[in-house]
Amino acid sequence: MEEEEEEEREVEEVWSWGAGSEGQLGTGSFDDRHLPQLLSFPPRAAASAARRISQIACGGAHSIALTAGGSVLTWGRGTCGQLGHGDVENCLKPKPVEFFEQIVISYISAGWNHSGFVSDSGSLFTCGDGSFGQLGHGDYESHSSPTRVLFFASKHAKKIACGMRHSLVLSKGPSGLGDFLYAFGSGRRGQLGTSLDSSRKSIAVPQAIHGFKGDEMIAVSANGDHSALLSANGHLYIWGRGFSGTSDSHLPQLLPSSLKFSQVTLGWNHALLLTDCGEVFMLGRMLGGRQESLEMHVPLCSTPSITPDEVCRAMTPTRVPGLDGVKVIDIGAGAEHSALVTENGTIMTWGWGEHGQLGFTVEVGLLLLLEVPAYILKVEESFYEKPNAAIYHPVVKAKGSDLRPPFTICWITGLCHRSRLQPS
Amino acid sequence: MSYDDVEIEDMEWNEELGAFTYPCPCGDLFQITKADLKLGEEIARCPSCSLYITVIYNQEDFMDDNKSNRNSKTLSSTKLPQTVTVA
Repeated sequence: MEEEEEEEREVEEVWSWGAGSEGQLGTGSFDDRHLPQLLSFPPRAAASAARRISQIACGGAHSIALTAGGSVLTWGRGTCGQLGHGDVENCLKPKPVEFFEQIVISYISAGWNHSGFVSDSGSLFTCGDGSFGQLGHGDYESHSSPTRVLFFASKHAKKIACGMRHSLVLSKGPSGLGDFLYAFGSGRRGQLGTSLDSSRKSIAVPQAIHGFKGDEMIAVSANGDHSALLSANGHLYIWGRGFSGTSDSHLPQLLPSSLKFSQVTLGWNHALLLTDCGEVFMLGRMLGGRQESLEMHVPLCSTPSITPDEVCRAMTPTRVPGLDGVKVIDIGAGAEHSALVTENGTIMTWGWGEHGQLGFTVEVGLLLLLEVPAYILKVEESFYEKPNAAIYHPVVKAKGSDLRPPFTICWITGLCHRSRLQPS
Repeated sequence: MSYDDVEIEDMEWNEELGAFTYPCPCGDLFQITKADLKLGEEIARCPSCSLYITVIYNQEDFMDDNKSNRNSKTLSSTKLPQTVTVA
């Protein structure tokens, strides 16, 4: 038994840093943490391979962890029932969601104050704040225990992405047809991808989104009032609130770029994009970021002579500076900060760091704004051999894009490593 | 610098705080009271960090609101999202 636990320790660690005001770091306290903290999970959760963490999602101030065996742990703010524990209490440490004891969960997402869970049989469950219809139950009620979304009873849900006040669900289509994407919740900024008449600002019953030109849908992302979808052929569709002050888009827009994207992750005012070559691009800008300086950086559009019109610029991805020669394998975005993992297992962060979400030591209260990615963790040589690192919360795992605001949870698969801090 | 401009109809009335609120990227809430709005204040602050937002609203709505003593009910029937009720 001891040997097995020792082995677990070697293969996986979860670290968190950033704002801790609601217990969302899982450290047992409400303190912000400016340096990465190693989390400990309940013994039961760490007892076997099936209990290894396979996905982590971060909401406005709560966190969800999914294990390889399909069980779920949550912690952080629970005041709207978003933890799914059947109450409206905050929880300072990872706690199993008992509701799912007999159900195998395969995908999770966390919104501002709501949560979504997809089971291996294609059922969808939601809980938390439902006041904008973002739980998809056809009403505006909140739920403190995971509740099955009946709309998907005869369908097969695959993935869910929860934004600030809306949700997107990718569902398997009938054989022969492609998958379908559904949206529900607030549509004030176009984030539902469907035109609502002016008297309706939200919808509580899932509605299908169209306009993906037959592309095979593989990943969905939602954060703030933004929505995005990635196709198997590397196309990126994006809709919702306009970036950099441009007008909102109520229908999915295909990003005009010749780049082939493999990951997308959204903040509240920016989008991070990873290409199949391991390069990172950005749309919009984070707090304090200077879009202008970034724009001089590159030619990323397929048409070099693109007109410098505002909307076009907002939809033109700019290369994130300071990453020359660095191959990136994973990206994550918080509301106003970003993180990435390089192929050799290094984690870099940039953006807004007032609460420690960049993982650097800064004077408490200092408004830290960092425009260029900087290293926060350097891992041991031995880790380099297993370049399958993934971080969440700002970070995120390659396949599920869920990152969120102020706090960061770092999930690393690989050998146990020590972290060294490198002043920027 | 103001983090964002937010219309009052996109803010939620929080009975416990006695304030209209909107999510702050730090995880807390930007807050502004009716008394503030009545005075023409347009800055909603977050108690946990340095950020603040500019609230877009019509001051007269809140002067009337006070006289009729109908408070948020008048507003919520027209523009505000429902307040959170946990099942």
